[in-house]
Amino acid sequence: MVNPVLLLAVPMGLAFTVPVIERITGRVSRWVPVAAMLFNLVLCVRLIPAVLEGPVIVQLGGFVPPFGINLYVGPLGLFFAGLIALAGLVISVYSLTYIRTGPLARYHMLYILLLVGATGVALTGDLFNLFVFFEILCISSYALVAYNGDRAGLESSVKYLIQGSVGSSMLLVGIGMLYGIFGTLNMADIARSVGMVDQGVLFVPLIFMLGGLGVEAAIFPMNAWLPDAHSSAPSSISAVLSGIAIEVGLYAVARMVFTVFGISDLFLFLAFLGVLTLLIGEMCAFAQSNIKRMLAYSSIGQIGLILFALAVASGVTVTGGLFQFVNHTFSKGLLFLSAGYLIYRSGSMEISSLQGMGRRMPLTSLAFTVGSFSLVGLPPFAGFPGKFLIVRGALERGGTVIVVLTGLVLLCTILEGAYFFRVVQALYFREGISGGSGERAPAAAAVAMILLMMLILALGAYPQFAETFLRSAASDLMGAVEHVGSVL
Amino acid sequence: MTFLNEYAFYIGAFGLILIGLLTILLRHHLIKLIIGLSIMETGINLFLIAIGYISRGTAPIFPVDGGAGTVMVDPVPQALVLTAIVIGVAVLAMALGMAIRLHGHYGTLDMRRIKELKW
Amino acid sequence: MTGVEIILAAAFAGALLTWFIGRTSSTAGSAFAVAVLLALTALVALLHGRVYETVFYRGFLGLPMSLRTDSLSWFFAMATTVLAALSGIFSLSYMKDRKNTGFFNTMLLLVNAAMLGVVFSGDLLSFFIFWEIMSWSTFLLISFNRGQGVNAGLKYIVMSLVGSMAMLVGIGWLLGAFGTLNIARLSELIPSASGGHQLVLLLLFGIAFGIKNAVMPLHTWLPDAYTEAPSPFTAVLSGMLTRMGIFGFLLILYVMAGAARVLHSPGSTVPTYNVVLAWLGAVTIVVPTFIAMLQNDAKRLLAWHGIGQGGYMILGMAFGTGMGLAGGIFHTLNHAIYIVLLFMSVGAVQHRTGGVRDLNSLGGLARKMPVAFIGALMGISGLIGVPLTNGFVSKWMIYRTLILGGAPFLAFAALIGSWGTILSVYKFLHNVFLGQLPSKYENVRSSPVSMKIPILVLSFAILLFGILPGLPLKVIDGIVVSFGLPSLDVSLWGIASEAGTLNTVNLFAALAVGVLVVLAFVRILGRSERVGQDSNYSAGCGVPRDRYNYTARYYDPLFRMISPYLKDFFSTLYDGLARGIGSLCEAVRMIYTGYVSSYVMYILLFISAMIFIHLTWNPW
Repeated sequence: MVNPVLLLAVPMGLAFTVPVIERITGRVSRWVPVAAMLFNLVLCVRLIPAVLEGPVIVQLGGFVPPFGINLYVGPLGLFFAGLIALAGLVISVYSLTYIRTGPLARYHMLYILLLVGATGVALTGDLFNLFVFFEILCISSYALVAYNGDRAGLESSVKYLIQGSVGSSMLLVGIGMLYGIFGTLNMADIARSVGMVDQGVLFVPLIFMLGGLGVEAAIFPMNAWLPDAHSSAPSSISAVLSGIAIEVGLYAVARMVFTVFGISDLFLFLAFLGVLTLLIGEMCAFAQSNIKRMLAYSSIGQIGLILFALAVASGVTVTGGLFQFVNHTFSKGLLFLSAGYLIYRSGSMEISSLQGMGRRMPLTSLAFTVGSFSLVGLPPFAGFPGKFLIVRGALERGGTVIVVLTGLVLLCTILEGAYFFRVVQALYFREGISGGSGERAPAAAAVAMILLMMLILALGAYPQFAETFLRSAASDLMGAVEHVGSVL
Repeated sequence: MTFLNEYAFYIGAFGLILIGLLTILLRHHLIKLIIGLSIMETGINLFLIAIGYISRGTAPIFPVDGGAGTVMVDPVPQALVLTAIVIGVAVLAMALGMAIRLHGHYGTLDMRRIKELKW
Repeated sequence: MTGVEIILAAAFAGALLTWFIGRTSSTAGSAFAVAVLLALTALVALLHGRVYETVFYRGFLGLPMSLRTDSLSWFFAMATTVLAALSGIFSLSYMKDRKNTGFFNTMLLLVNAAMLGVVFSGDLLSFFIFWEIMSWSTFLLISFNRGQGVNAGLKYIVMSLVGSMAMLVGIGWLLGAFGTLNIARLSELIPSASGGHQLVLLLLFGIAFGIKNAVMPLHTWLPDAYTEAPSPFTAVLSGMLTRMGIFGFLLILYVMAGAARVLHSPGSTVPTYNVVLAWLGAVTIVVPTFIAMLQNDAKRLLAWHGIGQGGYMILGMAFGTGMGLAGGIFHTLNHAIYIVLLFMSVGAVQHRTGGVRDLNSLGGLARKMPVAFIGALMGISGLIGVPLTNGFVSKWMIYRTLILGGAPFLAFAALIGSWGTILSVYKFLHNVFLGQLPSKYENVRSSPVSMKIPILVLSFAILLFGILPGLPLKVIDGIVVSFGLPSLDVSLWGIASEAGTLNTVNLFAALAVGVLVVLAFVRILGRSERVGQDSNYSAGCGVPRDRYNYTARYYDPLFRMISPYLKDFFSTLYDGLARGIGSLCEAVRMIYTGYVSSYVMYILLFISAMIFIHLTWNPW
């Protein structure tokens, strides 16, 4: 069996070779992210059989947990690593031609680092390690948001940096408190002894961590950075941030709540918070006239939906939530990627300037349409199974509050449908405005978009394939006892 | 006074964190915000050290003779703080770099006037 | 593969292939689309009389998806494919010189395939999936004409989503409660559920089907959608797609909740639901019919009738007797035939006059477009329910049910609806085809052959089903029997059950005698003299012909009298709601002020509020 630590080591090593390669031959360096993510993807696929038998624990440096840092490669971790690799691969193919100006080598290096950080968060079994990987993710995304060097990019990047730093500081305070209480940083070790400590004492570090991770996960009210950063970053980066970065943040929240703290009393509150996030996100998205800002707010909404699904905490909804993770990564990625070229072509981010694009850029418009239909949750696209599982699980779980919240979730779907369909109509059914450059999406971008469209259709038509794996990932997330047992 | 003796570090640490946060909340100048971040990070580092501190403990190095009977502070938070400092420096450097670029665009660092992205 | 699977596979594959063929040549694409639709008609016809269920896909989240066919499915499928094929033929020349023909054809086939999927689904999951595919492809087609169509499409899809979400909750609840979505299994299980649960279930599904069928408070999408969609698709939309709501009601009320329960448990929730539904149906008949009278747009006028006629179907179906049920289903078919015919006639007029459908500016086209005129005449006869046309038979069955069922108010409502229908469709016929021909239409040509064929076929069908109602009623009787209700004694000429007897031969004889008597009077006593049109209008003075047009402001006094009472309050309400939500959204987004310190404050407020709550109330 291959060692899962290569999932982190190889891309990180490759990331730092990018500037060197850039010096030698300028043209090869943009292929490095593709190679790194392809490597990760292959590795993840090869790890699947082993992980399905039981989680793989990697002890870094040979120290036995809880004394050393360990990687915990369970179905959930591998699922995220695979998702990151797949999305990262597609988006790096897109970036081959999309990113043409600026310090290219730094872009590719930071891009890999961002993904490594995300993978690390998903795989680590140690709290401080989690913090470090988060910082890797955050710092590279601060820089990448400002990649274009324009007014909006810098402004949003600085704001993101300030909020992100405050968030990470809160996270660190929480981690420090936990260390003070338990004397250990290993997640499994804390989870083992969490029952022996008064819940009231535990609550304060939990809130600090929730606040800190909430910034990364874009949970309301900690998500004010997101619409700015996602809308002013280059589209490929927006896709990564929306599709991967915030999802990883949400994963960390779920890991804390489910595995480390195991506090089930808080679930109802988190479900509330999820629906609130969903409502705020969708309502703001509804009121946008800027396409990328609309997509960014819609990401907030999706995060809220997934948080709700996870917080209902039945096996079916958690599976549905994880399915929604996949759907959101693919659909929102597709939306941002297609929006990137639509914006290139029209020269403006206003939805009104995209009118009539269906005729001028048929493939890109089709990609946008598929992405929005999938995100709204229409069959036969990938959004439907996820939404169906969530609704089904929430109703099975029952309880007046949960049912009312489910109703709100579905109302938000209607709102979501309204603003996405408006854009689809603008693309196809409104008279076009001439202007902008006469450029079509180049081959690499087309390949990336077609790939994502096929993934969305395949998942929508055959969700069973993902669902069987996701079900074991869901039980991995919810089974704190098994987690402790397999690590220690 | 025992209270102070025992909790002085924590009071200091959270005092620094609050000062930093208040700076971020109440000041409008970007450089001051960054200074606030820096103060906050210092506070957190102090907090982490304080967790591992044992009164009158020595550095966590095992002497050659075994060092029986000596009290040592917890080494783990110190390792954490080292990492945190490095990260803090990286963030600081990046923030300052961006502040320079931002000034180039806006001609000001007053965050009340740098809000083109809103709603 | 079994027959149903082949039909669905062919339908979806046909849609896909049409797109590819349409990319190379739009003419070939259109021809192929019509070929596919005709082939589907033949395939569905072959399925007649078969009853079976087959699992076609197991890969969806552990829920087997199945298809089933029985008399109900077959009836709706047959009507769907035949009408879609006729619309396809009609669209050949209608869409000829327009852009995006390939897209139109593909979507038409996709809608058709999804409708077939809806009627053939054997479980609610596949039902929902096909239902949603139907909704979004319809949305794309309604928006197809651009302009106002964009707003109409958005309105449609939002309301449709409301319905789908209600249905999704219902499906999720059913799955949670019974662990299966198979319709046959559910029909055994649901009657055992408590009354309250059933009521909630029926309400949730009722919202979805009520929106699709445009029952009165949920109808507001329909006038815009019918008006703005391209005419061949308006035909499909009005003929069968809207009536998928009726299919859904039949499915949930009779197949799943069980006819026996609907009929025989007074006091329980289901009959109460029935009565409410019947009254909604009555309101749906009366109000839209009179609103239709006030319209000045040919398609919009017909669209309001589309809503009104849906009320008759609901009324017949909700009553729960064999006669009423058969009447409701038969009316669905009849309505589909004549409304498709009417929309085709309007489409033909639009095609030749350059898109004009304003009733105030048309007139006198009967001589120029005789086939379209025949179509419109037959169509309105069916719509009114003139004896010996198909609408008469089904309306008769519904009236009969209402009177026998002791519901005089509902019967009266249905009767008022018929008066309104007569008034308004006469306005339609007169203002388009009769009266004086405006001079700019002097050179209008007759409709093309591909439009004439479906118009003539449908006109013939109206007479055929009016004179020989036994042909479709035999199938409908099979449906009624399959729901566990007593059979109506259907003969080729009519019905001879104890609930009432109808014999079209007698009718025919009576009418023939009446006509002969009148003819004889005219021949023997009548003396007529032809005068010019101006001569009695202007008392012999010469009037410039192009200066006046007495088709304008038809029913003006009536209009002034009733229009204040007949505003579409619900449409206003929903529009206001949408605007309110819009401004609420505008307000909500102001929390993102753009000022970074307030953002940091949000983070800190969250943390401190949580800790405060924790320390004060300790709720966790």
